[in-house]
Amino acid sequence: MDEESMAYLLLSMLIPIAALVLLPELGSGIFIFIALALILMGIGAILIMNWVDFVLFSIVTNLFNITFQPAIGYKIVRTQDAIMKDVNGLFYATGFISANLFAYVFKQESSEDESDETRFINAPGIWERAIMSLGFPFKFHVLSTGLDVQKVRDELEGKRSYQEFQMSRAMQGGNASEVTVTELQRTISVLQAQINRISEGEKPIATVMYVETTAIGVSEKAALDALEAQIKSLQVSLGSMDVDLTRIVGRELHTLFDFNFKLPTASEEVASYFNQQS
Amino acid sequence: MEKKMFVLFGLLALSAVFLALAASLPGGVLFSIIKIPLLLIAIVFDVLAFSSRYYTYLILPLFEQHKRNVVLSTEQAYWLSSTADAIMTKEGDDFVATMYINIPLYVSSTEMNDEENLAFSKQVSSLVGISKDPVRFTTELYVMNKDSYIQRLRDMINTVENEESALEQKSASQNELERARGKLSMWRKMLDNVSKGTSLELISFASLSARGAKEFEAINIAQLKAKETMSGIGALLGVSPSIVIGDELLKFVEPEFLIPYSTISEQISKNIQEQVV
Repeated sequence: MDEESMAYLLLSMLIPIAALVLLPELGSGIFIFIALALILMGIGAILIMNWVDFVLFSIVTNLFNITFQPAIGYKIVRTQDAIMKDVNGLFYATGFISANLFAYVFKQESSEDESDETRFINAPGIWERAIMSLGFPFKFHVLSTGLDVQKVRDELEGKRSYQEFQMSRAMQGGNASEVTVTELQRTISVLQAQINRISEGEKPIATVMYVETTAIGVSEKAALDALEAQIKSLQVSLGSMDVDLTRIVGRELHTLFDFNFKLPTASEEVASYFNQQS
Repeated sequence: MEKKMFVLFGLLALSAVFLALAASLPGGVLFSIIKIPLLLIAIVFDVLAFSSRYYTYLILPLFEQHKRNVVLSTEQAYWLSSTADAIMTKEGDDFVATMYINIPLYVSSTEMNDEENLAFSKQVSSLVGISKDPVRFTTELYVMNKDSYIQRLRDMINTVENEESALEQKSASQNELERARGKLSMWRKMLDNVSKGTSLELISFASLSARGAKEFEAINIAQLKAKETMSGIGALLGVSPSIVIGDELLKFVEPEFLIPYSTISEQISKNIQEQVV
């Protein structure tokens, strides 16, 4: 969680805390329990908004049938998972899936039977077979941005120092479980490997990968149904590429729609757009 | 940022007011019934205050417009630059120019051995880290545009239909009539075949944006960035990338250019006809 989210969370929690303090003033008998339930629901809603805001947001818009017009001719549907365009009575529904590669596997962690080299050799073939099996339009996007080498190195070293501190505290206590120690050792070795790669001259980059697909239909429903089928088909076909395929819902859908017309111009901008889904 | 802060503190203040109001009412069953809705409103405002972290752009129009279809923008999503090589948008006082670079890649893994596959994968990996600025690399599978071809076929069918009816009216010979009908049947069959299935094309491209206080400034910066990226792509992949200009740009941004209208509507109507038959 970044600093801004932390500040929002702390400020928003002040009201439920104040309400809990003032609970005796908010009613008596059964009413005190209703008030308590409301406060707890409020806390729950804030926590949900903090971690999975797209879930709660789409429930609210779906419940109240709220749609958005991000630009003339376009409509974000109430389920917040597709953008609709009506062209002379033919409906075009566009949806997005995040397609981020699973966390990089370092040589010391990878299995013997499939090295990085094998993955690289197989990748073009897997990609071509996946494309050939799809008979509808889609776009596979990789948005990449270079990062500040020194800043990334400092961050990694900071994280390694913290993990080393945790490790020495666990060892000194004498009651650390073997699982905890192994986990800490693994984290330290991963961080060290990343530092080594940067020291060897590798440029750190950040990437956001996503797939965009468009379906058509003679009605809004037909287009959305076709889109659903295409997305499922993409999830099956691209599943073989070791990517995490999650349908994009909520505000990130609006962000990705905007990316067709304007892209971020600085790496800080990219980071500010994504946190949970991508 | 100021707007976001204003929304956050405004909603928190409203929430605090309703909570204070609920707490300040005297005790008793009647007042307790009033206190609960007041507390509920306070909680809703508090949740909205937290939601304003990401949703300020939606919360304000939602409150202002009081309708179910919330209009976030009444403007076109973009316009084409006067140089015809960039898509322009406005963000606050700044102009943002987005350029698209075509990457002509015509290789297939089926024609490559393991070494070549490995080299190609490494080239693609390096391509992703080519620029310090954000660059988006895309592979797009789209429906081939047969709109103009379909239109030509339709025009031919209309012409031959007119020819046939003219021949019928002037009681032309059977031979002439048969020839016209044969031509008509040939064009109709061709239209049927064209609409039978969709033909797909694959294209790879890179896109990047630049910001400027004036439109030409944004375009100039984007052109410079595009040239840098193009030389990087060219050196890495050994191809000649080019900046996409004019109507070709629409293929990357508009859904109806991804799936051309006439091409697909012809197919849909054919499918419906088949289902009816």
